[in-house]
Amino acid sequence: MATRRVVSMLNRDAGLPAHLRRTPVPVPTEAPASLYPPIVASLTAKSKSASRRRVEEHYKLVHNAGSVTEKLKLITGLRRLKYVVYPQTFALNADRWYQHFTKTAYVAGLPGRVAPSGANGTAALGEQELKELKDLVCEALLQEYHYTHKGRTYLYRDQEVSAAPFLRSLVSAISSRCAAFNPLLTQACMDQQPQVNFYWCRGETTVPRGKRKGRVDHVRFQIDDKPLVQIRVPQQLPEFVPLDYTVPGEIPVINHEPSRLPLFRRQYENNVFIGSKIEDPCKFGHTQLHLVPDKFKRERLSKLNLADQVEVFLRANAIASLFAWTGAQAMYQGFWSQDDVTRPFTSQGIISDGKYFSFFCYQLNTLALSADSDKNPSRKNICWGTQSSALYESVEETDVKGFNDDVFKQLVQVFLYGSQ
Amino acid sequence: MAASMVPRRMCGAGVIFHLKCGVRCLSVSAARNGKFIPPVRAEAPEIPGLEPITYADRMYYVPGLARPRNTDWDRGWSDPRYYRAPPPEQMKLFREQPAYLFHRSCRLLGGVKQALWLTKTKLNNGLPQRIMDICEDPVYQIPNHEELVHNVVANACLWHRPGDQPIREEYCPKLLQGLLHLCQKQNNKFPALSQRSLVENCRLAASWHRESSIYQVRGINGFLLSSKNPLKPVASESEIQATKEHRLESLYPLSPAIDLQEVNVYEERNDAGFRPGYPFPHPHTVFVMDPCSTRAGFLPDQLRAKMIMLAYGSALAKARNLFGEDAKVLPEPILVQSIGTDGQHFHFLVFQLNTLDLVSEDGVKNIVWMDSDQSLYSSARLVAKVKRKIVEVPAGVCGLQPETFKKFWAMYLHGAN
Repeated sequence: MATRRVVSMLNRDAGLPAHLRRTPVPVPTEAPASLYPPIVASLTAKSKSASRRRVEEHYKLVHNAGSVTEKLKLITGLRRLKYVVYPQTFALNADRWYQHFTKTAYVAGLPGRVAPSGANGTAALGEQELKELKDLVCEALLQEYHYTHKGRTYLYRDQEVSAAPFLRSLVSAISSRCAAFNPLLTQACMDQQPQVNFYWCRGETTVPRGKRKGRVDHVRFQIDDKPLVQIRVPQQLPEFVPLDYTVPGEIPVINHEPSRLPLFRRQYENNVFIGSKIEDPCKFGHTQLHLVPDKFKRERLSKLNLADQVEVFLRANAIASLFAWTGAQAMYQGFWSQDDVTRPFTSQGIISDGKYFSFFCYQLNTLALSADSDKNPSRKNICWGTQSSALYESVEETDVKGFNDDVFKQLVQVFLYGSQ
Repeated sequence: MAASMVPRRMCGAGVIFHLKCGVRCLSVSAARNGKFIPPVRAEAPEIPGLEPITYADRMYYVPGLARPRNTDWDRGWSDPRYYRAPPPEQMKLFREQPAYLFHRSCRLLGGVKQALWLTKTKLNNGLPQRIMDICEDPVYQIPNHEELVHNVVANACLWHRPGDQPIREEYCPKLLQGLLHLCQKQNNKFPALSQRSLVENCRLAASWHRESSIYQVRGINGFLLSSKNPLKPVASESEIQATKEHRLESLYPLSPAIDLQEVNVYEERNDAGFRPGYPFPHPHTVFVMDPCSTRAGFLPDQLRAKMIMLAYGSALAKARNLFGEDAKVLPEPILVQSIGTDGQHFHFLVFQLNTLDLVSEDGVKNIVWMDSDQSLYSSARLVAKVKRKIVEVPAGVCGLQPETFKKFWAMYLHGAN
């Protein structure tokens, strides 16, 4: 009987694919120095050292994986209950929670290389070109808000009628114009409503009930994001600050369970995806544009007495979305939580509801977020952001009132980034 | 399949199981499994002179007695939740003469032949020489375009989502958007291209008389590329005059209005979907996608007919706007292009509107140039198709034909070179 149990234990992984195998394949070792094999913990025992050994074996598998696809398959292979993080969330004060989940320090104001007053500001464009570009933007605005006959739409989907087409034509107009000054954009790939996913572990918890009750387990998170438009480029954007730069701010630490935010747990396939598969040559991010849904527009929030949550919502959206996108880019380069990034990854984000624009820059300095790899407290991800401000005051009968040139210049600057 | 499509009598889960639909009927309770549900009894017909005996005065249901018919309760105010449209005869826009409507889900049985008859158009095969010149001129070529097109096709058909191969509903719009973005990126080389604007879900209304019937093109037009400057007509004056001799093919025994929606409540409007003063007033190209159902796609001929109708509708609305309602032969013909795709094959079309006098068969006709069934690639599969250890279709994008993209690009560039 006992023999049979041992044999079945050894054979239990016979038909399974590599990433689900519980018993690792023995690696043939070359000419051992000692006559006896090294003494290691058991793989199958019910002990702490055995479980540690299993984890280490799994990490070894991932390290030795041949390609990035293999690696991602091994990392995301295990399906467990995970918290689904919605970038556009109704939760109050979600930005602090999201900072904690993603180990992100938030810095108000944009980094010097992207600010319009910076070294490579919009000076690259002459006055004439800026004016032409502004006319294009105004025409796109008037086209969507005045000249085109629009029909009715469903409740809470008003933004799909005018704001979303305006933002799409804005991005295509500015990016095609800026391509003359930013050669990166001529090779860019533009996705409309792509799928962006990221899966990561952060922190530990004890499984409260079920078969695995009492075991210490990772807290898993998944982001499934859908920006309105995103631009991917084949070369990596330059870093905003060096990797060893120390951010002055502290990252808030939340000592509650994530379910108190509230977040909910589901179990489905773990995905890491930047909007395109690994074979795509455009595998680095440039800019994402998110649309604020009607449910979170500022008039509604202030009516609900939540006017202070307007900026919080935008910040939370930027932190979650940009972390997911930039993290997925880093994982496409073969980095993961046990093999932390050696160069920072950056991407930019614009969040808008068609009128108010806010700009964000994200630099990913670390992917080591899980409890067993989060060793270096000085490595933090950084998110820079601005307060939202209106691009224009109102559209009145073929005339755009109060066009804000600062916001417009900032918008152009975002598209010019990475030109050197 | 939605449960509402199943007749009520069959709506038990067990009955559906017997029908082998392969679906569970989730809109009804599982308790209905295997039970016979009697059909709703049809109302007895009304016989003049006879008064049906109802159970109204008994105030409860009695089998065998007729159901009382009560008049609608008038609540005294208008509640949009309980709004009931009046019968068509009482509507303000009711006309005795029906109009035949073409909208985006119409599939013309007669195909191109029917569309040509409806629009009084002469068909020329192949694209006009002017566009073919752009297509062949190396000055206008996009460098490295084969690789770029390959990436666009692969991104649309293989890469844009994790997991399985995307279905046609997903990759068809992605492919069109990718190609359009590829064209838009050339704006800095051809500055005249920035005099263009792409409008999504453009609304179109155009109506015309053809042999004592009224026909209309209505509804959402898809993607419309409009420009600040009009396209110059392709056919010269002599070619236009030469179309007088052309005879249109008749559709007999089919009615030319087959598959068009017959309506009695309508308005004869001509509207390109924009308010006056629009900075991009001239329609340049209409991009038509197959309505992209994987199960019931348009046949290529039906898609071409739809392209002709939409291009004609945009041109007609523009012409009525420019030359008034009563213009007959246009002093300046209007040119509108159209590109249609089902995600793999492309159809290119150039429509020149010469006349608005469609009532009679005589006189000048409109002209259309059409280049159909140009495939962009032969197959794009995530997993190779292997049968008996022989690879029938390899994985990845195969049989890419950059000439098709060259034509797409030439149509896009036309008017800006």
